[in-house]
Amino acid sequence: MRPLHSGILWVLIVCVSLLTSCQKSEQQQAQQKPEQPQPATPAKEMAQPTPEQAAAQPEKAAPPATEPAKPSDEQLIPLDIQLPKPMFVGTPSNIAVPNLEKPLGRPRPPFLVPAGTKNIAFKKPVTGSDEQPIIGELLMVTDGDKEAAEGSFVELGPLLQYVTIDLKGRHTIYCIAVWHYHKQPSVYHDVIVQVADDKDCIANVQTVFNNDIDNTSGRGVGRNMSYVETSEGKLIDAKGVQGRYVRLYSRGNTTNDLNHYIEVEVYGKAVQ
Amino acid sequence: MKWERWLFVGALMAGALLRLPQLDLRPMHTDEAVHAIKFGTLLETGTYRYDKHEYHGPTLNYLTLLPAWLASERSLTQVTETTLRIVPVVFGLCLILLFLLVADLGLQSIVCAAVLTACSPALVFYSRYYIQEMLLVCFAFGLIVMGYRLATSGRILWSMLAGVCAGLMCATKETWLISCGMMGMAFLGVLFLRRREGGLKVAVSVRNLSTAILCAIVVSVLFYSSFFTHWQGVLDAVLSYETYFTRAGENTRHGHPWYYFLQILTFTKGDHGPVWTEAMIVLFGFVGIWSAFKEQAGPQEHGRDLRLFLGLYALLMLLVVSVIPYKTPWLVLGALQPLALVAGFGVTAFLTWLPRHLRRAGIIAVTLMAGHLAWQAYRANFSYYDDPVNPYVYSHPTDDVRLVAVAVKEIAQNSPEGATVQVICPGDDYWPLPWYLRTLPNVGWWNGVGEDFVPTGVILVSPEVEPVLLPGLYEKPSPGQRHLYVPLFSRPMFLRPGKEIRGYITLELRDKSQKERTE
Repeated sequence: MRPLHSGILWVLIVCVSLLTSCQKSEQQQAQQKPEQPQPATPAKEMAQPTPEQAAAQPEKAAPPATEPAKPSDEQLIPLDIQLPKPMFVGTPSNIAVPNLEKPLGRPRPPFLVPAGTKNIAFKKPVTGSDEQPIIGELLMVTDGDKEAAEGSFVELGPLLQYVTIDLKGRHTIYCIAVWHYHKQPSVYHDVIVQVADDKDCIANVQTVFNNDIDNTSGRGVGRNMSYVETSEGKLIDAKGVQGRYVRLYSRGNTTNDLNHYIEVEVYGKAVQ
Repeated sequence: MKWERWLFVGALMAGALLRLPQLDLRPMHTDEAVHAIKFGTLLETGTYRYDKHEYHGPTLNYLTLLPAWLASERSLTQVTETTLRIVPVVFGLCLILLFLLVADLGLQSIVCAAVLTACSPALVFYSRYYIQEMLLVCFAFGLIVMGYRLATSGRILWSMLAGVCAGLMCATKETWLISCGMMGMAFLGVLFLRRREGGLKVAVSVRNLSTAILCAIVVSVLFYSSFFTHWQGVLDAVLSYETYFTRAGENTRHGHPWYYFLQILTFTKGDHGPVWTEAMIVLFGFVGIWSAFKEQAGPQEHGRDLRLFLGLYALLMLLVVSVIPYKTPWLVLGALQPLALVAGFGVTAFLTWLPRHLRRAGIIAVTLMAGHLAWQAYRANFSYYDDPVNPYVYSHPTDDVRLVAVAVKEIAQNSPEGATVQVICPGDDYWPLPWYLRTLPNVGWWNGVGEDFVPTGVILVSPEVEPVLLPGLYEKPSPGQRHLYVPLFSRPMFLRPGKEIRGYITLELRDKSQKERTE
């Protein structure tokens, strides 16, 4: 009988010690979790909402616990979230543009450029067809401020207007990013982007983007699609054209007939 | 003369057939949804508070109580699109019926005007739109008609009715001042043009005028004071003009060039779909104005003066709505309605000018053109009702809003303990979802992710908010309280063209909902 008693005692001791160690390891895990990068996985999944991923990811990702922690000595009560009522708004602006690009529905994929490429338009001088803008200054086009807030954009007059950026030297241009105004969804008409060797855009003019499908602006019939302004800006593939001046045209937008620029970035390298 | 009466009845029936069916077909516009929710408060609590910055006057809300009571609807959740949109439909049809009171302008002209009013795509489209515009146009025409009857008879009844119409105009929309101002200018224009003929012969006394003004003030105060329960509303109604005059001159939102209205009335062609044109009304409208200017004195002096007045009024309204930079397409109604009326005179003048042997061909051509208008009105309302190629579709929600609402409601219904829904859109740009989700008890509306953000089971969000939302979902909650969120929709959803909305649901809630559904 003695060996049996001692055997039971040993089994009990092992069980108790195992239970204690399990509780400890759970507590340690809970304490360590904030430092672990695991939440990034679900965050990434949310940023790319495709049904396939939605179906596939939950098994792959180490999901956070779906049950809230239940400390034994605290009573749990339902969380009281104050639900605000809807706020009334005015008539939203209208977007009815032919040849309109469908939004991607996800962040834009990365654009590949040669190593050493940088924003060569940053703080470069800007001239334009409206030298006395309604709001702001032309220099705001290249000041590096990409917010849509007051004081971050320049507003040019109605009809066809342009801004010209002097890159201060010939450059090979790989892409151009344009932010017109994205505080509300709108589409800018007749967006034309040209690269040239002279400030009047006469010599060696190369059009890298043109969505003026009916040639109302007289710069040739465009083949590119119109697009809705977003905080991502419009990325234009310049295909490595070379030139010193970058000129951007527009002819009002779907909200009003004025023209705006928050920022223009030109990515390229100086020609050796 | 019998055929004219039958034709008038036919016009009225055509107007009803184009306006009444399937009032719930088109998704609710933001403006309609806002008015609907505001009406819901009035229906449920009996209170209305005039807002001097937006949303216009109270007549639309108060007049919607009638169909709601008739349909025994007592809360917002019971209210349907039909209950709301039947109100502008009734006033759209009243526009046609009011022609009966000016029949002495010439029955043939009136019948032609009735046909054009009944079949005009814009007048039909916005008769099915839960906004104030059709009410304002109807009250404005009512004022002209009652004013005409008053001028010809001098009876006190007409002065009272004219006053009521003016008061209703004032209580409907702040832009009533434009219509009344143009009426005044047209009246002065008639006085000026008739000065060599001894001026106007009107039977209006001081008593008539003071009665009309008193009635207008009483009716207007009645509505703005929420039936004598909120006197601040009367003061706000006066102060509101500062807001609206400032906005009219602004070009920041809804700023369009001067030819915008002429363009949508004469020729619009999108990247697909048909050509849209109401050129017939514009063309015959100008013929009518021309004929009114050229008309020689005859036995019916009052009718001749009214034709001149209406011609001038139509011209001035078209001019003023074109000059004001702020333009939404429904504002064209203020000019289009008098233009359709004078187009009736234009049609009869045109047929009279035609040589006798061509008159039959002229009648056939005019009939075909009116038929084309009716066909366009049908397509605008039953085929292209939310398609941006339709010139009267303006920042309109797509059918996606209904799909979003169905998906969210399905989750809520299949969740054992219901679901709390958060909607986060900057600038409160989530409309018309509050209308479509009105039956759900636990929906919260935010314009950003604040410090106190606590994620719930279902989140509807604008794409631009996502970068701020992610830390709120996966970093801020304590370990053990984080949930995995998965997409709610299988494709990108748009509240309206260019305005995407994304939906996320906790994996746990989705699984529970699916389980509940399969069981």
